[in-house]
Amino acid sequence: MKLALAVMLALVVAATAAASTDTTQPTVFAAASLTDAFPKIAPKARFSFAGSNALAAQIRQGAPADVFASANTALPDALHTDGFCSKPVIFTRNTLVLIVPKSNPADIHGVYDLRRKGIKLVIADKGVPVGSYTLQVLKNMGLSGVLKNVVSRETDVREVLAKIALGEGDAGFVYSTDARTVPNKVHVLKIPAWAQPKVQYGICIVSRSSNKPAAQAFIKRVLSPAGQKMMLRYGFLPRVKK
Amino acid sequence: MKRAVSGLLVAAAAAIALGFLILPMLAIFLRVPPGRLLHLLTTSIVTDALVVSFKTTAIAQVLILVFGTPLAWLIASRRFRGRGLAITLVELPLVLPPAVAGLGLLAAFGRTGLLKTSIPFTQTAVVLAVAFVSSPLYIRAAVAAFEGVDPNLVAASRTLGAGPGRTFFRVVLPLARTGLAAGEALAFARGLGEFGATIMFAGSLQGVTQTLPLAIYSAFAIDFDTAIAMGALLVVISAVLLVFLKLVLSWRSSGPTSSFLFARST
Repeated sequence: MKLALAVMLALVVAATAAASTDTTQPTVFAAASLTDAFPKIAPKARFSFAGSNALAAQIRQGAPADVFASANTALPDALHTDGFCSKPVIFTRNTLVLIVPKSNPADIHGVYDLRRKGIKLVIADKGVPVGSYTLQVLKNMGLSGVLKNVVSRETDVREVLAKIALGEGDAGFVYSTDARTVPNKVHVLKIPAWAQPKVQYGICIVSRSSNKPAAQAFIKRVLSPAGQKMMLRYGFLPRVKK
Repeated sequence: MKRAVSGLLVAAAAAIALGFLILPMLAIFLRVPPGRLLHLLTTSIVTDALVVSFKTTAIAQVLILVFGTPLAWLIASRRFRGRGLAITLVELPLVLPPAVAGLGLLAAFGRTGLLKTSIPFTQTAVVLAVAFVSSPLYIRAAVAAFEGVDPNLVAASRTLGAGPGRTFFRVVLPLARTGLAAGEALAFARGLGEFGATIMFAGSLQGVTQTLPLAIYSAFAIDFDTAIAMGALLVVISAVLLVFLKLVLSWRSSGPTSSFLFARST
């Protein structure tokens, strides 16, 4: 009995020790749209990709993140104001596009086609950065009425992408960088420049980070010429508008 | 001395186990003041999700009863080739990760799936997801309940001139009803908690496909307190279901079938 307990305790301690091993690598909480680009910039860092708002909520609950990279500036700004992270800096920009499945079942060739009745439009939840950008685009184009065609509000941009790539939804709004990851499955329909929202990504060091030097080094790497070049390769825009 | 120490260890382990299980549920209620909790429950996100949850789960349960009961009866009363396989297949969704269930439903009922339906993103999709993950709980319990019915009573009913249908409804069902009700309550509870398959197969839209668990997930990132309020609501609903289940089981035991489902609390 005692032996069993001792063995069990030893196992738990060993398992948790392994899980919390502090290496020189930071834990990075990053917007889902960074899923492909970030591991190329820092292959050894630990990543958690999700909707920026979910990640921000987790950081507020004390999640063990060292870096927070958000698809907007509002979320890291709010975290900074409340003392949860350092002052964010903008590290890249992006644009929105409309995507349709390659088979284009609803025969959509532009944003205005979304007004047709019965279209299955998939967007992100309004709390997710890409969700609020989507609402902005529709407002800018005077198309807020198409929201009645929304069949699902997804929790991050990659969920929107998946539903369209799978052909279940007729159209969806994602970042141009997401659309590029599945060129064989979706058609990209451009959104006019005048209707584009200002999509800026903010990055900051989480205040409770136990590994701030690594966090600092990661951000430096993202901002470095090599890091920025990698971001451009994945279709992101330079952090400063030229 | 040695015995006292090991007794203490057992008690300590038991206390840790109990505390560990209670703490998260308790914490949900301590996080937000009760007044605010109740207020948050009146927001449209919560009420819409509650309606969607109960509507879809209720419809799923009707389907489970209508189609699951005959299947359970066949499995319980017949000995046929592949019976073991049938039982295993019925139980498989129980141990299947919900995300796999979601994938499977998309692959089967998706617009580009096997059957090429337009079910995804509709309330029907939620019903199917709930039915898929929760029906095994009912069918399993129903098979056990039917197997617990004394075959002599069935035979006697038939000898006395009752047809198979009459025998089923007048003899078998009443005898098995405790086990059936228990299985149904379990399936209902599991259905209310369905998340993974639903979000993949049905998406999430307030008032249409956004059930309580989906609304919790969506609110978590926007408004933690509202998520907590819905969490508290689900804890209460689950507790009520569990108490109901225990009551059902204590009414009248339909043979050896019901006691394995839950430990008796009396």
